[in-house]
Amino acid sequence: MSTYLVKRLTYMIIILFAASLLIFCLYAFTPGDFISGNLKLSPERKEELRQIYGLNKPVLERYAIWMKNAFHGNFGYSLAQQKPVLQLFNEYIWNSFLLAIVSTFFTWLISVIIGVIAAYKQYSLFDSLIMVIIFAAMSIPSFFIGLLLIKGFAVDLKWLPPGGMTTTGSNATGLAYVKEVIQHMALPVMVMTLLSLGSLTRYFRSNMIDVIKQDYIRTARAKGLKERKVLFTHALRNALLPAITLVGFELPGLFGGSLIIEKIFNWPGIGQLYMSSFSSRDYPLLMGFTMFIAILTVIGTLLSDLLYKLADPRVKL
Amino acid sequence: MRKSAILLTTLILAGSLLLSACSSGGGNNTAAGSESSNVAANTSAENSAVTDDQPIAASDMSKLPALAQKRTDTIIVGLKNPSGAFTPYFHQSGYDGNVSSLLYSRLVTQDEQGLPVPELAESWDVSDDQLTYTFHLRKDLKFSDGSPMTAEDVAFTWTLLYDKAYDGDSIITAIGIKGGQDYKEGKATSIEGIQVSDPLTVSVTLEKPIATAPITLGGEVLSKAYYGKDYKFGDLEYIRKLHENPVGNGPYKLEKFIPGQEVRFVANEYFYLGKPKTEHFIYKTSEGDTWQYLETGEVDYGSFTATEDNLKKLKNMGYLNIVPYTPSVYGYLGVNLQHETYADKKVRQAITYGLDRQSIYVEANQGAGQVANIPTAPISWSYTEEGINPYEYDPEKAKQLLEEAGWTVGSDGIREKDGKKLTLHFLGSKSPSTDIFIALATEGFKEIGVDFQPEVFADFNALVDKYESGDYDLVSFSTPILSDPSDGVQQFINGEVKGYDNPKVKELYFDALSTSDTEQRKKYYAEMYKILNDELPIIFTSYRKSYYAYNGRLDGVVNNPFAGFQDVNNWSLK
Amino acid sequence: MSAVSGNLASGGAKTPVKAPVAKSSLWRQSIRRLMRNKLAVSGFVTVVFMILLCFIGPLFSPYSGNHNNLAMMNKPPSAQHWLGTDKLGRDILTRVMLAGRISLTVGFASMVLSVFIGSLLGAIAGYYRGVVDQIIMRIADLLLTIPSLPLLFIAGAMLSAWKVPTDYRMYIVMLMLSVVGWPGLARLVRGEMLSLREREYMQATIVLGLRDRRKLFHHLLPNITPLLIVIATLNIGGSILMESVLSFFGLGVIQPTPTWGNMIDAANNLIDFQERPWLWVPPGLCIFITVIAINIFGDGLRDVLDPKHKR
Repeated sequence: MSTYLVKRLTYMIIILFAASLLIFCLYAFTPGDFISGNLKLSPERKEELRQIYGLNKPVLERYAIWMKNAFHGNFGYSLAQQKPVLQLFNEYIWNSFLLAIVSTFFTWLISVIIGVIAAYKQYSLFDSLIMVIIFAAMSIPSFFIGLLLIKGFAVDLKWLPPGGMTTTGSNATGLAYVKEVIQHMALPVMVMTLLSLGSLTRYFRSNMIDVIKQDYIRTARAKGLKERKVLFTHALRNALLPAITLVGFELPGLFGGSLIIEKIFNWPGIGQLYMSSFSSRDYPLLMGFTMFIAILTVIGTLLSDLLYKLADPRVKL
Repeated sequence: MRKSAILLTTLILAGSLLLSACSSGGGNNTAAGSESSNVAANTSAENSAVTDDQPIAASDMSKLPALAQKRTDTIIVGLKNPSGAFTPYFHQSGYDGNVSSLLYSRLVTQDEQGLPVPELAESWDVSDDQLTYTFHLRKDLKFSDGSPMTAEDVAFTWTLLYDKAYDGDSIITAIGIKGGQDYKEGKATSIEGIQVSDPLTVSVTLEKPIATAPITLGGEVLSKAYYGKDYKFGDLEYIRKLHENPVGNGPYKLEKFIPGQEVRFVANEYFYLGKPKTEHFIYKTSEGDTWQYLETGEVDYGSFTATEDNLKKLKNMGYLNIVPYTPSVYGYLGVNLQHETYADKKVRQAITYGLDRQSIYVEANQGAGQVANIPTAPISWSYTEEGINPYEYDPEKAKQLLEEAGWTVGSDGIREKDGKKLTLHFLGSKSPSTDIFIALATEGFKEIGVDFQPEVFADFNALVDKYESGDYDLVSFSTPILSDPSDGVQQFINGEVKGYDNPKVKELYFDALSTSDTEQRKKYYAEMYKILNDELPIIFTSYRKSYYAYNGRLDGVVNNPFAGFQDVNNWSLK
Repeated sequence: MSAVSGNLASGGAKTPVKAPVAKSSLWRQSIRRLMRNKLAVSGFVTVVFMILLCFIGPLFSPYSGNHNNLAMMNKPPSAQHWLGTDKLGRDILTRVMLAGRISLTVGFASMVLSVFIGSLLGAIAGYYRGVVDQIIMRIADLLLTIPSLPLLFIAGAMLSAWKVPTDYRMYIVMLMLSVVGWPGLARLVRGEMLSLREREYMQATIVLGLRDRRKLFHHLLPNITPLLIVIATLNIGGSILMESVLSFFGLGVIQPTPTWGNMIDAANNLIDFQERPWLWVPPGLCIFITVIAINIFGDGLRDVLDPKHKR
């Protein structure tokens, strides 16, 4: 096991190096650069600015410079926002994390419950209804669900705020602040949960169906155990076990932010920041953020491989 | 089925990343039809003006949401995405410019036609040779930290912009202050052309006469004591640390910046016209639609494309004053004059006749536009329709011109000349208005026998990249905000419109810049517009029309297309 | 661990171990069983109906889907225009049918492509393990870290520079996305393979000295087919919507050609959403019906093909 881990960690570092080079080149070769979009600048001034930013150097040289600085913990200044990249992360990423972690929690909770019931009552009305709702959510673009909820809950009913993270101009602190944030979170979390519910519910349902048909469940029933006990202790535990391998894959998503949701609900998250820096080709920020997600992705993959091993010991790593 | 969720979550993740990207491009509420919405200067949807349409007053204030009613000393305005670099001349995003225009006053501002009017400078004079401008400051000016503002601060600001490390997009460096280049190259320790004669008087000498100098030079003033404390030639790193703690002289001071959420201001007691009437002002970050905030009363002000839909909805809300305005920009189709086909004036004219601009920019756009025929906005003092060919949609005329140019209809209905097909390779960036253009133009060009080949680019940067490669016939653009008529015609002089070189236009351009007499300048521009309208080095398309709407309780709100929010110190809540 | 081990208990029994003759009769048997599942049959019929409607329907329409008529802008459904008109006065019904041609083609093609590449690489990695597995999976790790946005932009610029006709670009990009988008599915299939090959009946094939190909195609693939079917059918919706994303990047179809995705996208604002449901309901409904019909059919197919499911 430990040799496996050492090997995987070595690969991980190699992959990250390769990824950093690849990602750097991708951004560098994306048509247009930080300067080209500004129509106000004369061609001479554009050249001058490219010189100041070092954009006229060969890509590999720029990569070497970036890498050297990154090793010293210096991820540079965002060109568009004129702030250190790490400071910007700190300002935005936790807001995204908050949304993601809460909606992930609800997604798992709800999909386990629905999945189990749907599996138990396979082909029942409930099962079919759930399936229809899930597919509806999957075939409608998320901005529509967002608009629908804003229209209903915020504009017409005025139950919840239409967007943002706090009420504009509010000076609330402590518990009042927490309450405000929870109110503002409600709609985006609802949409995010709804969107990711589908696949996970189907996953649990089908796991559960597999498990229910097993001999030991029949045995448990034959022993005269209560149906609920059979379902929620014996069956559920076994149906959940393989799901822990999914946890690793959630990792990058927790910090990656969600572009549409953040945009529709004006949530001050990292997804919006990424999009705006992409359209302005703000290289230091793009590079920093993508590498951060890459690291999480690689760690997440390793994590889920290890968990997979835990869940199914027969698998040889 | 087991573990299929893994794949799905990753797919959905990737999908959402992409999808959101698409909605971000659609930002059609504030600036529909802006092909260049990525241009920093162009993005400030706040810039606006009143046209012949009349403002509409709020009809039913009882509909005002409770949230807005509760607010007594705060004005809230939606602003797309300020980033926190609030020092004028140094921000990279137009939204930061909107923030800094509340924090800093200018020496010279502009009226609603774009003519210069005094602000911090009481007056200015020009020497007889039109080369030396002398600015006279008002007495007792103070920065928001209470320190006095003098001519030294003005001189410092200009000098700073000539530093070789300066990376902003101010055009002060392009205006050519005498000795500026020497300073930039490190050959001089100060700029020869900038002279401070007393604490209230500063003069600047230019290398050649430029009539726009009062506006260009009359920008915001940075405090030398604050921004110049750590200044060493060639190193401007230190200034980044000051961006979030601005010291200005505008109506408001920065109270707090909450990234991605709001910028809070508090009235500046040292403002030269006295403390503003409303104690607090907030710019609320609103990336997507602003409708819902206006409807729930969370913001007091919003700006919208002037479509019938939008007007109807704004009117229905009842508690909004609605003011029509036209931004100082024009939209155009760049034509590749280096392609032999389009170097021919007749072909360009034929294309213009064959393009139903009224349908594309006005009708399909629900009235939120106006057909353009000259390179200046209809609100500018230089605008004229006299002797200007309107190029009304006329496919017969277009066909006739093409025949004259030697393009005859081939067997497949596409015109040919010397065995070459008449194709029109169009570039546009993806937006609802580009979709409309392509749908309607495809039909129209087919009618006159032109093979229209549209290509769409995901964002403005990608479009510019393709455009710079020269592989196109037609490309859709919109200008940045034009503060002076010379900005609108500059592209015909400085080589930006490649392959166009008309000595007469050049002569008129420099004549118009070498005099400060507005009437005289008007004549030069009128003549120039006539030539450009006939030769069509670019095809003029449209002017944008918008509305700004604000809470009926607000008094004194003025939005000027050239200077942005005006007299903010007088805005008050009833 | 009993849950997972339980899975295999009945596992091997149904797998066709015999000659191809037996296989074909098994197929016939499967189809017969499928026909008995009414839900699955109705799903299949619906899909066929959608396809026919989209490919034949426009021929009977009095309107051309791309003809603009500004006098008829944004009209609600009426006797002339059964589903109303869009912002350029084009007939929505005709456009929805025309759009289906592209959306359905793209949805199916990209689904087949990505499932094929993903499952092939995953199966190889899981079956051979060792060096092959290491190489494939590490490449997968690398690909997972690559952001899709710059990739799409670069592809767009390249296709434009090479003057690929805009109508074909989408298919090339779809191919490209499948080429970089396989890691998720490959990991899944590999995991399944790793687990399957340790099972008793696979041990048995080793004892019997069966060849690799036989083991892979006769014993392992039938066991993962149900999984693939479910994934494939679940992905259809995503693929159809993906097309509108590509269109957004200038990589998909260009206006005025309609697709379900870009028709919905054109109504992406509060006013159209509230006041003109006829703009977005028809294409939305089409995607929904297609997705649900295919999934119902897929579920039925899975039940029939899954060796583990005795009915």
